[in-house]
Amino acid sequence: MATAAAFGVTPHKVSVCVLLQMYAPPAQAEPLFSVSQHNHLGLYLLALTKSHGDFLEPKLADLLTQLKEISGSLGDWLIEHLTSRLSSLSSPDDLAALFSEFRGILGGTEPAVIEDNQVVLDPNSYLGMFVRRCILAFNLLSFEGVCHLLTNIGNYCKEALSSCLPYELHGLDDSVNDLESSSTYENMDLENIVFQKVTEEMEANKQPSQRNSFHLHTPKALSGLVQDIEILAGSISNRAGKSGETCSSLDTSASGARHADTSGDMFLRTTSQLQGFFMEQADAIEKDGCSFPLNGFEVILNRIKKLAPELHRVHFLHYLTCLYHDDYFGALENLRRFFDYSVGIGGFDITPVPSRSKGFERYETGLLCLGMLQFHFGHPKQALEVLTEAVRVSQQQSNDSCLAYTLATICTLSSEMGSSSTSGMLGTSYSPTATIGTSLYFKQQLFVLLREALKRAESLKLKRLVASNRLAMAKFDLMNVQRPLLSFGPKASMKLRTCPVTVCKELRSCLHLVSEYGSESPTMTIEGAFSTAWLNNLRRPMGASVLSLDNGVGEGSNAFQFCAQPSSIPRSVLQLVGSSYLVRATAWEIYGSASLARVNSLVFATCYLDASSSSDAALVHAKLIQHLATFQGYKDAFSALKVAEQKFLSISRPVILLLKLQLLHERALHRGNLKLALQLCNELGVLASPFNGVDNQLKIEASMRHARTLLAAKQYRQASEVAQSLFCLCYQFNLQVENASVLLLLAEIHKKSGNAVLGLPYALASLSFCQSFNLDLLEASAKVTLAELWLSLGTNHAKRALTLLHGAFPMVLGHGGLELRARARLIEAQCYLCEPNYSAVEDSEIVLDALKQASDEFQVLEYHEMAAEAFYLMAMVYNKLGRLEEREEASDSFKKHILALENPQEEEEEEDEPVSEMLVEKN
Amino acid sequence: MSSKENCRNELRTAIRQLSDRCLHPAAKWAAEQLVGIEQDPAKFTPANTRFQRGSSSIRRRFRTNEIASATPLTPLAGVSYVSTPVMEEDEAVDNDFYLLGKTYFDCREYRRAAHALRDQTAKKSVFLRNYALFLAGEKRKEEESIELTGLGNSEPTNCELITIERELSTLRKNGTIDPFGLYLYGLVLKEKGNQNLARMVLVESVNCYPWNWSAWSELQALCSTPEILNGLNLSNHWMKDFFLASAYQELKMHNESLVKYEYLQGTFSFSNYVQAQIAQVQYSLREFELVEVIFEELLRNDPYRVEDMDMYSNVLYAKECFSALSYLAHRVFMTDKYRPESCCIIANYYSLKGQHEKAVTYFRRALKLNKNYLTAWTLMGHEYVEMKNTPAAVDAYRRAVDINPRDYRAWYGLGQAYEVMGMPFYALHYFKKSVFLQANDARLWIAMAQCYETEQLQMLEEAIKCYKRAASCGDKEAIALQQLAKLHRELGRFEEAAFYYKKDLERMEAEEREAQNMVEALSFLAEHCREMKRYEEAEVYCARLMDYGGPEKETAKNILRGIRGDTSLPSMDVDHFRP
Repeated sequence: MATAAAFGVTPHKVSVCVLLQMYAPPAQAEPLFSVSQHNHLGLYLLALTKSHGDFLEPKLADLLTQLKEISGSLGDWLIEHLTSRLSSLSSPDDLAALFSEFRGILGGTEPAVIEDNQVVLDPNSYLGMFVRRCILAFNLLSFEGVCHLLTNIGNYCKEALSSCLPYELHGLDDSVNDLESSSTYENMDLENIVFQKVTEEMEANKQPSQRNSFHLHTPKALSGLVQDIEILAGSISNRAGKSGETCSSLDTSASGARHADTSGDMFLRTTSQLQGFFMEQADAIEKDGCSFPLNGFEVILNRIKKLAPELHRVHFLHYLTCLYHDDYFGALENLRRFFDYSVGIGGFDITPVPSRSKGFERYETGLLCLGMLQFHFGHPKQALEVLTEAVRVSQQQSNDSCLAYTLATICTLSSEMGSSSTSGMLGTSYSPTATIGTSLYFKQQLFVLLREALKRAESLKLKRLVASNRLAMAKFDLMNVQRPLLSFGPKASMKLRTCPVTVCKELRSCLHLVSEYGSESPTMTIEGAFSTAWLNNLRRPMGASVLSLDNGVGEGSNAFQFCAQPSSIPRSVLQLVGSSYLVRATAWEIYGSASLARVNSLVFATCYLDASSSSDAALVHAKLIQHLATFQGYKDAFSALKVAEQKFLSISRPVILLLKLQLLHERALHRGNLKLALQLCNELGVLASPFNGVDNQLKIEASMRHARTLLAAKQYRQASEVAQSLFCLCYQFNLQVENASVLLLLAEIHKKSGNAVLGLPYALASLSFCQSFNLDLLEASAKVTLAELWLSLGTNHAKRALTLLHGAFPMVLGHGGLELRARARLIEAQCYLCEPNYSAVEDSEIVLDALKQASDEFQVLEYHEMAAEAFYLMAMVYNKLGRLEEREEASDSFKKHILALENPQEEEEEEDEPVSEMLVEKN
Repeated sequence: MSSKENCRNELRTAIRQLSDRCLHPAAKWAAEQLVGIEQDPAKFTPANTRFQRGSSSIRRRFRTNEIASATPLTPLAGVSYVSTPVMEEDEAVDNDFYLLGKTYFDCREYRRAAHALRDQTAKKSVFLRNYALFLAGEKRKEEESIELTGLGNSEPTNCELITIERELSTLRKNGTIDPFGLYLYGLVLKEKGNQNLARMVLVESVNCYPWNWSAWSELQALCSTPEILNGLNLSNHWMKDFFLASAYQELKMHNESLVKYEYLQGTFSFSNYVQAQIAQVQYSLREFELVEVIFEELLRNDPYRVEDMDMYSNVLYAKECFSALSYLAHRVFMTDKYRPESCCIIANYYSLKGQHEKAVTYFRRALKLNKNYLTAWTLMGHEYVEMKNTPAAVDAYRRAVDINPRDYRAWYGLGQAYEVMGMPFYALHYFKKSVFLQANDARLWIAMAQCYETEQLQMLEEAIKCYKRAASCGDKEAIALQQLAKLHRELGRFEEAAFYYKKDLERMEAEEREAQNMVEALSFLAEHCREMKRYEEAEVYCARLMDYGGPEKETAKNILRGIRGDTSLPSMDVDHFRP
């Protein structure tokens, strides 16, 4: 009886069987199809039984339209046959006769019986099994059951033949198409930019082997994105039309009537299809986060709950939606309900559950999920409490895999608590960070825990977990100096370094995961997804897209869908691999290789964007735009930012908003618009949560910018006060990487205040920090600052400064941003000029060259102060050389920059979009 | 007296009208209340009052706030009742087809009845036709739900709802609908999930025709919060008091409900219904003795009653009356074995006997008869806990909670189940829920405190808070005080510990209980007083401790000796130097 519950005979299944009968006609009938039509029909039927695009079985009307689409002229014949067959059923006995006919579709076990030209379904094939299950389920039916089936088939036919069908369908199709086209349009620009950049980049780097794969992947990202959106829109509009529950109490009587009208003949799909549907929706929820439509989906879930109360997975999906819509109580309730009901089986006990959910059998998983929930909502203390319980219970139940997952979660939790970048958005009153997450001891504990988790995951062969643990490990290696755990005794090594090699090694081994998955055979759900995609594709007007070749997008996405879909790598793995690239990009950013950082972000943006969550996607955009700003100036960056803002409308606003503020602040500083700069950095500070220990990254950034603004305003005392307190904060939270840059800032402040002697120790300390963390770029800029300091000590130190500068040049010119490069050039020129044995006439070219480059780059950055200085020096040199015309030119530029520096407002007004407007818009 | 007489007359007419429309449950209820009204002893011979024999021993024994029966039916706050005119029938002589339809209806041939009444336009016939249709649909729905188990997964619905709704809504728009039609309309709307409109329509119905108890109870089911209840615009009829009483009861406003019922008892002093409801309220207030007495009397008057008997069985269960419970089970079994209440009573009996498998079987049967039978789900959960099948218990409790999220017992059960599985932190959430719903139940607070106290959690501060709440709620088993003392002692707060030990001691003295706790309290207090140099007090405690044998006696002696040592040393010195 259990199988019957999972696989009941429904009108839709009957019509699929009738179609199958036509697909494999009995022996005496002559074949009516051409081979390709026949194959197409077979493929269609296969897709029909496997796809999980929706949770309800399609209505007859939908089925008929699809039939018309796939088989052209033959469609009419198929439709006629099908409808006449179904409407001829008038008594229970007709049904019995029909099902005994179905038995003829299946071939016997003896191959010899088959005649020539006869198409026979293998009873063990997927479709054969389908027919067999239908027959079995029918045989199990009681007489009442048969009566029900008969009335249901009657209603099923009646609905399709009623007049409302063509109108409704057209309306639906139109809306889908509209949505699709608009979304395509939206996504086009950025994708194109990215695509272009990839090709440029790759051609520059001359890596033909990789280039190939990029070309394959990029359109996939594009088409996948479009397609996802379309599915979503399609399904939502579908449902909104049908169930009318969304317009809840207003015209309740009317909508209620409609609802009841339809609810009579709704049938859920088979359990495996439903499972696929649930998994797909869960993926979508996780991917889109809070932009996932809440109400529409809630309606769907409620309907499923009503139709199949024993399907507890619904509660889990409910939990997920609540989670991503920041509904704490809803999430908590639904999570607990799910685990209470199902004992973790999720209501799929009827069908054999795939191996993935092997760990999903006991309450400890519930604890694990609860822990993650609490973590997500920023209650680290409770999360830790729950996870400890999870560890204990899974040890008692000897559920090793759950234990491994729990450990990994604890690791993430504790590393996040250290930096607390995500939690605390809700402004919870808990700030245990100050008590738990500060000390070095804590870091050591985390390290031990990480190693333990990694070992466990490896021994259990949980591939995904290994990869994510490695990722966590890499993050840890990146941010923390590894001290020997036993740091006493004579033999304790005193090496205090991070090792980029280990970071890269960890990240690389994370990538192996993909190749492992690539070799595995595709799982059932993947096949289902393919079927879904295929069926969705069908819905589009096929002929139109072939004809309109000039319409590049539609055609391209159609074509690529076929080659891109059947990838056997699950989305979660792709997401993991994608985030490994993100970590790589960050790592290179810190280590100071701008180009590698950029390449890695681009790889992520092109290959993994469709699999990644929207917040990750926003992050990578932010990274790329920032890169643009440092290397190509603000104009490009702002235009890119505009595109990104359109793309991430309300989702992951924080990242984009932060980026905007950063860019605006930077530009205001350079232009000398200090009032605006101060306002901007205050706004940045407001973004951070007011609780101690939460949002540290943001707070540090804000006060760093504050100090810089003060410095630019020549308020040295205040600037150094801010910087000092910042240093204390970093020291308290053991943020050594940040420490280095704060020290450098202090050195800068002392230099500007004319106190070079005091600045030197800071610069040297920063330098040593940089060295131990391999922060090459920062080290280079520390060297530049050091050179400046030496130079300001007096002209007799010019030589030393110059050597220092030249030592740093490879790094500065190779990876440094515009500002650093320009500054280095300027100082180089200054050094030459200060040198006692410098003669203007002989060596003028070196100096002029350096100055020219510096001034160009400063101009791009609109850094008026420094540009003015460069032009001033240039004018002086020209004057010495007696090149009057060029001298005038340089002095004109000097004057221009000085004027601009004095009236920063004027420049703002020239802009097409004033800053004030941008700020207003943001709010 | 006239108002009593009024009531009687109104009810008599109402019963006839209700039975004309085949609203049998409502007619039954009205008839019960009719005989429940106290008869004028002057007018009636003893034969007339045979329903009222046994008078009211309960009132004699338990009633404290006697409401003078001389002033019946004066509204509590001096509000006067609206007198609703008894509805006039629109036709004097019944139509033949109506008579045919009604007989079909009475033989439970609903579809046939509806068919016979198809072209009738009289209001009575129209209502009866629709009502017959509705019941036919309900019957079909029931059948389908059995047919469909194991087939499709969809929940069957009443397929007649749409046609009925369509007709009734047009009638309502035309203004030609009668209160009975409104009741049916409300019922249909409620079935379809349109709660707001249903509530409105039902209010309209009861305001026009207040004697239809079915309409009131449907309305009551739609009042899930006190706010909704207070928002209803009801005219002041005496039937409203019945409604309010039952609504208060459902919303766990027990005292308000009790006041209302006791007031109603002034008029309907022999109403079994009112008595049973009072029993229910008292049960919620955990006055088991009283409940038992009420039920004994109820059964004497109405031996074939099955309604509410499951609660009686719960009381007997709690009091561990094996034979009484078995007697009750036998009685209801003979009366009607296919009632969920009967099955539940039998299950309770088996549970009391410790035969949990059999108990589960009967609970399952009860649930098959009524899937939304809340008590059965919860009690089945308890059985599963006894059988150490925790996952099944969790499932059962969860179903109970989803049927009625205000069922604190099921929440408590969930908490316990998880605690048994060694997940105290997870369990806490459920305890919190149950405590939230029933904030003055010491048992719940103690359970939560114990959860905090487990060795996995060791959140002793929270535990102390919970025990404090429990102690303030009047903890009958006296666990809270003792635990408070113990916890404070463990945390090294001896002053607080001494305070609670003293309280506990007082309590034990008051209840004349002798226990190990007594010894513990005494020895701690003795030791503590000695350390605080309150030697006299310490000596008192030691003296009491000496009454017990065993090691305690020795400790007491030691302490005493120590005290003597402490106190006598200086005096000895004095002695020494005394000439």
